[in-house]
Amino acid sequence: MIHLTINGLAVSVEEGATVLEAARFYGMPIPTLCHMDGLSPYGACRLCVVEIGEGPRAKMVTSCTYPAEEGLTVRTASDRVIRARKMILELLLASCPQSRTIQDLAAAHDVRQQRFRQEHDDCILCGLCVRMCEEQMMAKAIGFRHRGEKRDIGTPFDKHSEECRLCGGCMYVCPACQLRCTYTDTENAVCGGCANLAPPCVDKDPFDDMMCSMAPCVACEIKTD
Amino acid sequence: MRLNSLDDFERHVASLTAEQDASACTLVIPAGTCGRASGADELISVVRRTVDSKGLADRVHVRITGCHGFCEMEPSILVMPSDVFYPKLRAEDGARIVEAAARGETVTDLLWIDSIDGSPIPRQRDIPFFKTQQRTILARNERVVPGDISSYLADGGYGPLVKALRRNTPTWALEEVKASGLRGRGGAGFPTGMKWEMLAKQPTGHGKYMVCNADEGDPGAYMDRSVLEGNPHSVIEGMLIGAYATGATDGIIYIRAEYPLAIDHLLTALEQARALGLLGAHILGTDFSFDIEVVEGAGAFVCGEETALIRSIEGKMGEPKQRPPFPIQQGINGKPTSINNVETWANIPVIIGEGADRYARVGTERNAGTKIFSLVGKIKHTGLVEAPMGMTIKQIVYDIGGGAVGKGKIKAVQTGGPSGGCIPAKLFDLAIDYDSLAQVGAIMGSGGMIVMDEGTCMVDIAKYFVGFLKGESCGKCFTCRKGTQRMYELLDDITNGRGTPAHLELLEELARVIKDTTMCGLGQTAANPVLSTLRYFRHEYERHVLDNRCDAFVCAHLTGASCQTACPVDTPPWRYVALIEQGELEAAYNVIREANPLPGVSARVCDRECERHCKLGATGGEPIAIRTLKRFVTDRVAPQAFTPRRITRLDTAPAGETPPSVAIVGTGPAGLAAAHYLSLCGRKVTLIEAEAEPGGMLMTAIPPYRLPRDVARAEVKALLDENITLRCGVKLGRDITIDDLFEEGHGAVFLALGAHKSWPLGVEGETLDGVYSSIEFLRAFNLHGEQWGRGRVGIIGGGNSAVDAARVALRQETVDSVMLLYRRTCDEMPAYAEEVDAAIEEGIRLETLVSPVRIRYIEAAMKEGVQVETFVSPVKIESEDGHLAGIECVRNNLGDVDASGRRKPVPIPGSEFHIALDTLIVAIGERPDSDCLESMGLSIEKDGRLEVNPKTFATSRKGVFAGGDLTTGPNTVVGALAAGKQAAISIDRYLQGLPMETAAAVNLPDTYLAPPTLTDADEEVTRITPPTLPAEERKTSFAEVESSPAPEDALREARRCMRCDLQFTCALAETAEATGAEQ
Repeated sequence: MIHLTINGLAVSVEEGATVLEAARFYGMPIPTLCHMDGLSPYGACRLCVVEIGEGPRAKMVTSCTYPAEEGLTVRTASDRVIRARKMILELLLASCPQSRTIQDLAAAHDVRQQRFRQEHDDCILCGLCVRMCEEQMMAKAIGFRHRGEKRDIGTPFDKHSEECRLCGGCMYVCPACQLRCTYTDTENAVCGGCANLAPPCVDKDPFDDMMCSMAPCVACEIKTD
Repeated sequence: MRLNSLDDFERHVASLTAEQDASACTLVIPAGTCGRASGADELISVVRRTVDSKGLADRVHVRITGCHGFCEMEPSILVMPSDVFYPKLRAEDGARIVEAAARGETVTDLLWIDSIDGSPIPRQRDIPFFKTQQRTILARNERVVPGDISSYLADGGYGPLVKALRRNTPTWALEEVKASGLRGRGGAGFPTGMKWEMLAKQPTGHGKYMVCNADEGDPGAYMDRSVLEGNPHSVIEGMLIGAYATGATDGIIYIRAEYPLAIDHLLTALEQARALGLLGAHILGTDFSFDIEVVEGAGAFVCGEETALIRSIEGKMGEPKQRPPFPIQQGINGKPTSINNVETWANIPVIIGEGADRYARVGTERNAGTKIFSLVGKIKHTGLVEAPMGMTIKQIVYDIGGGAVGKGKIKAVQTGGPSGGCIPAKLFDLAIDYDSLAQVGAIMGSGGMIVMDEGTCMVDIAKYFVGFLKGESCGKCFTCRKGTQRMYELLDDITNGRGTPAHLELLEELARVIKDTTMCGLGQTAANPVLSTLRYFRHEYERHVLDNRCDAFVCAHLTGASCQTACPVDTPPWRYVALIEQGELEAAYNVIREANPLPGVSARVCDRECERHCKLGATGGEPIAIRTLKRFVTDRVAPQAFTPRRITRLDTAPAGETPPSVAIVGTGPAGLAAAHYLSLCGRKVTLIEAEAEPGGMLMTAIPPYRLPRDVARAEVKALLDENITLRCGVKLGRDITIDDLFEEGHGAVFLALGAHKSWPLGVEGETLDGVYSSIEFLRAFNLHGEQWGRGRVGIIGGGNSAVDAARVALRQETVDSVMLLYRRTCDEMPAYAEEVDAAIEEGIRLETLVSPVRIRYIEAAMKEGVQVETFVSPVKIESEDGHLAGIECVRNNLGDVDASGRRKPVPIPGSEFHIALDTLIVAIGERPDSDCLESMGLSIEKDGRLEVNPKTFATSRKGVFAGGDLTTGPNTVVGALAAGKQAAISIDRYLQGLPMETAAAVNLPDTYLAPPTLTDADEEVTRITPPTLPAEERKTSFAEVESSPAPEDALREARRCMRCDLQFTCALAETAEATGAEQ
């Protein structure tokens, strides 16, 4: 067993557990977007950052990838952590305002506005779908392409992939409430599962489960052009 | 040939050394990528051809090497062993050098020219750029031919490897590297020995990797390239020693594909090393086996980050992986991997060769050895600089780099590439090492060092680096990808005039979170450019968001046409230059006069900020002769052509009552401008002048040969309209007080007293007969025609008034000779700012080798016969019977750089000498004569200046305003005009009871003027110089020296204008055209 301190509480977990697992086991919540049990840790969304160490040597690490070490001190909700988390949520809201998951997280952290130029991306590149496809569905139909601001997820050369079994796993795990394929272009769609879904909120139809506590509702600001 | 034992190796090296003749004359020609780009190949062929055709092959050897570091001066030749250095050669110079070298002579006219005294410096080690460097790594590039392993062996190469192998225990080499204190040269400065120890402790059996990171991607950094191109074996040897010490089994050099020459040299070197048995199985017959593979990068900056590099080597997408596990535990293919930078590897043979103790003695306690910096940017000498750790930035920038280019003032150094930070000039005493740089918010990085001067906008720089990182972020982790994008967005808003104080707050908040929460080094340091510029240059950000100004004239939407923005009175030169080109002289005059109440005066004495910021000058050409063109217009159009626009505005004063009047004390440019613009607002103004006629400094200080009296008088008179009452011969403090003025019924008082008092020298004897201040001397002559100069005249100072006094003295009949004494060099004389601005003309063309700095104003005086002595300071005034007899001076040397960015003059003890003089004029500066204001409820600074609000010109006393030299100290005519103009606006607002401060904004060009159609002939045109009187005639007369340019010259000059305004007005014209077509 590994002994460590989380938020002042002395705890012990099995060897090989991550800090995130340890904290959650002891009932200390850490928000995540790119983490999912059953998929390998990835550390991309940075929402699960916690502070470890003391004094000037204290540093921020992603709890989903950091292994629980003997004698480690972890703070999951220090000022520094909360400040960072709020900024990350603000950035997420600025990019993907229509995501119910992000809205809920933001609301829970008391982030009620974002100060950047509003964008309407449909992806936060958390990579859950890619890992789902590869690790659980053993398909590897989709993957990351390009770098930096051009980075996106898709099939090779944007062509329908023979590997894809139209399982819909990628949609199931997506926190951005969007689909991994362009459902308007049925030729190249990955799975076509979305054909059965109504496009979200475009006509400001009642869409109760997408509403959030923010005013005005950013979910309704999806680009219509 | 394969060497099968350590003894074999030593025999082979001994035979190579015996073949070498160290005394043979060798021409070393650097031909790295940089050398080849500047023409080294042609030089080499000329040299080779000459050697062959003259049959000199046995007397003159030629060695083609990699870069030596002074890339800017290539193609160059270094003659060994005499160490003679020939910089910046043309191919044909090669033949002369070969022939001279064969005779054992030097070609004097091709040598390096010293920038201070203009004398040639033959030896490389005496040239300032090389003098204080310690070139442990780079100097080897001079001795080694990269494609020839024998030259490396003859230089002692692979000796350290054999030394390590002979110990028969890997621990020895490991302990040596640990004891040396070497820290990784890749950027973070992790102790190399410690890293190796960790690798050595990893379980063996499945193999361990040792990697050389040669993915050098920082813009402007190229030290790794020069090491790999010039001395690839040193890296290979370093890796061999490392592998032996740690038990690594496989070596990989990860090199960026953009370095084809380096890859080529490296592959050749590996091949040669393998052939000799220095690489591969059973190296030199021992049990030690190790081989190196070269992997070419795929062009991603992030692959320099070790976890991304590992993934790239594995053939995966080059993106980082969250640590732990660390590469040292699980690296390439899950095996322990240690990664070091090229420069680190090149240091290993040095450490093993000379011993850890000796190595550790170089540098500072926690930072041993030397570091190569790539010194680039706004600096005289650029190149690769190798300096011991702990050298100060000042030493590198000023001693090695030679300081600023031209007249620029260096304001910051950016270290560590895109993710580094900016260090302001006030911290230049910082001794550079890993720890000190981190403390000031920068990083060592790979050693890039970009020097910036006043022409660099720090916000723009931050934007550039963030833009680079935004494109190079792999995009895996959210805060790096989106964070850099958002930082860029905010910076883009700020540089385009859309910024608000909230932008700054958000930017800083975001930058801190990015630093805290990203996955790899790229993201963690991506905020550095923003945070460090915010830390040290926040005022620049604030200027952008609060005042909408970019003081470096970089951000286009905050600059507009730079000539207009540079002008203190907001004259639009682009507009009147275009009108001159179109032949509309009257319209041109109106444009000038609208902004400037004294156009004829300004056309003669303005210090032309416009020309200094002319984009044509800033981009390598010669600035447009704007003042000459203004002169052309004002000489040809009568002032009557302009009718000022009088503002008829409902005043706050009740009907029937006159609005409150204003009293203005002082009738120099500031007072006159204020009076003029207040009069245009419909206010009554009373002008009070101490002398007998208005004009202030225009009349007392500026000599008539620069500004003819009739021109000045006519323009001053034209401003005095019916709203203005002039009272001459009334002196504030003597005849009248501020209280009196308020009692007379004035609503506000504007003080524009000027700076009419000279600073004393502070040397005994200043009250002697024959010793004057320049102000007194000039006033006596300019106002009263009294000629005070007698016999031999000496003038102390280097400012405008010194040169003015010198030239006036020279013209006086009773004067025999004039000598100007200045404590620094000619090119540091402040006088030069006034006359033709050589800064831009010369500064840009002033290549590193051209030493004589020509200054036109001082030159004009020298041509007329003024002798100039530089580097002297007076120490004593000597007298004879109560009269001046002469002065004793001491010679100076240039010392350290002081706060003004200039080198301080330091007296040389024992160098005192005597100058016999009949007249001495002290012209070391002026100050306002403001003592009387103390008793009128105003507080005066130590230097006589009156403190005012810089935007409103309001003093601490209600209703009292001040401007001009009184508030700034001695300044320019146009500066005073601007102060008067601005003060008039705030006085008018004050009298109406409105808030005085108005929002500052740059006036972007808003009038479209069609550009001329240019022909090829226009390409050839060079800047015009106005016609001047011959020097002989000038000496005896006070006639104006400069005259108006000929119309065809003026037209040609006007056609040279780049028309920066079109960038802003073309769109307007197109819109107008479109709407016109619709109608």
